[in-house]
Amino acid sequence: MTDPVPVKVMVVDDHPMWRDGVARDLAEAGYDVVAALGEGGQAVRVAAAVAPAVVVLDLQLPDRSGVEVIRGLAGTAPQAQVLVLSASGEHRDVLEAVMAGATGYLVKSAGRAEFLDAVARTAHGEAVFTAGLAGLVLGEYRRLASGPATGEGAGAPQLTDRETEVLRLVAKGLSYKQIAQRLVVSHRTVQNHVQNTLGKLQLHNRVELTRYAIEQGLDG
Amino acid sequence: MGLVGLLWRALAVFRVGALGYVTILVATRFPGYAHPALGWLVLAGMAVWTGFATWAYALPRRRRWPLLAADLAAAVGALAVSYWVVGPEDMRSGAATLPMAWVAAPVVAWAVYAGRRAGAVAALVVGGVDIAVRGGGGGMFSDAAVSYLNASVLLLLAGLIMGYVARLAVQAEQRLQRAAELEAATRERERLARGIHDSVLQVLALVQRRGAELGGEAARLGRLAGEQEATLRALVAGDGAIAEGAADPRTGDLLDLRAVLNRFAAPDVTISAPADPVSLPAPVATELAAAIGSALDNVRVHCGVDTPVWVLVEAEPEAVTVTVRDDGPGIPDGRLAEAAAAGRLGVAQSIQGRMRDLGGAATVVSAPGQGTEVELRLPLPA
Repeated sequence: MTDPVPVKVMVVDDHPMWRDGVARDLAEAGYDVVAALGEGGQAVRVAAAVAPAVVVLDLQLPDRSGVEVIRGLAGTAPQAQVLVLSASGEHRDVLEAVMAGATGYLVKSAGRAEFLDAVARTAHGEAVFTAGLAGLVLGEYRRLASGPATGEGAGAPQLTDRETEVLRLVAKGLSYKQIAQRLVVSHRTVQNHVQNTLGKLQLHNRVELTRYAIEQGLDG
Repeated sequence: MGLVGLLWRALAVFRVGALGYVTILVATRFPGYAHPALGWLVLAGMAVWTGFATWAYALPRRRRWPLLAADLAAAVGALAVSYWVVGPEDMRSGAATLPMAWVAAPVVAWAVYAGRRAGAVAALVVGGVDIAVRGGGGGMFSDAAVSYLNASVLLLLAGLIMGYVARLAVQAEQRLQRAAELEAATRERERLARGIHDSVLQVLALVQRRGAELGGEAARLGRLAGEQEATLRALVAGDGAIAEGAADPRTGDLLDLRAVLNRFAAPDVTISAPADPVSLPAPVATELAAAIGSALDNVRVHCGVDTPVWVLVEAEPEAVTVTVRDDGPGIPDGRLAEAAAAGRLGVAQSIQGRMRDLGGAATVVSAPGQGTEVELRLPLPA
């Protein structure tokens, strides 16, 4: 890290060995690990005080679901970018977490270099898309598109042809650089496309939640 | 107590009820009988047998052919004695026999014990004796004959229907038990999966990660841990059987393609799929998985064992598409057509054959420096 002020990172993982290992890696790479915790509720409260720029979050916590923690963090630490680091094979969980506002997802078996790169990108506000996450997001858009014309299907976000193309290539494991080469566009353009697909899904999710809240009479 | 046990209990209740009914009717007809004293004796015998049968049938291990035969014999005996008790003349003109509805009990017992055929046999025996004690009285289609034949036909129907119901009950019970076992197994697997997830998988992933950083011998150990992690994860994820809604009579069981593909999970194989199950009929899912397996083997053969591979599963309303992409050197332009012309496509051909058999297609795309993609597309019936 060459930044004069180290980036503040919070690590939330209930497995002590993992938590310590991740925290050590981050500290060695020059990050300021402001908190390393094992519980979701605690993490949401502490985040208000330590104001992390990045939260590395495991989805399998004893007290809260990943989605609840991400929603909670949005309230107590709105500036924080959430990177989901999960050993979970639970596809639904990962997708829900990303739709709730996490901007990246990495499997725990990813190497150290890959992990640090992901944290750096998350800190810069970039979406961290693994092939697995791209497959999930692609699947979610298709599910929304094939839904009924009324209700959920109406107003559901859609991918442009180019976005679909980019997402498919990411899901097939091509790097942004390879995609840029293949589609003859800039690296930055690829990145924007990926970011847009996630942004539309998160926005849709917020709209759906609001609509649900209004329908259920939770607004007043 | 199972459903069949309930049927036996209902039969015991019927037997006692029928005996009460007979007692009341016999009491009112008592003066008209040819041998009233003998009638009371028979009734006493029926009461004793009712008590014994209720006790005997209560335990499954006592329900055997000797008991069932004795039961039928008791009913037939009571029926035959009616000839003397009621009197031949009255019997011929269609008077009620002494045991009346009580004779239905062994018919039902036979049906519940051995099915509708046995029920029909018992009903025919009882019906035959009934006709015999009446001496075929009144001619074939006289009012008397119609009324007592009617009773025999109803008895036959009861035997058939009870046999059918008993078989349904047994089947329903077996199905219920299977469902309960499946549910218990699923719950146990989920419990284990949670436990394994929270502990073993985390440690294996950690060993893999640290090992890779340390390099050398540790890297090899880390790699082994990674392989075990992938295998274990696939194991706890199950074989893809979709429990609910699986009973489509046309297609049989449905499998979740994603779970079927779990067996290909390895550290250098990334599988991307939608968050929701990709349901396919079991034979189709298995065959598609075999084609994907061939494509992965193909990568191992041509690019070496450590080449990273990505498998992308896409589900659309009209088709399921699976892409297998490797990060190998790719296939030079024209190399594929050349091999095909020479009849040497080997594994690729077996993939295409499998996909054709399923009604789909396989296409191979290769870009220099960007690996090779095998796209398997399977159209779905609308």
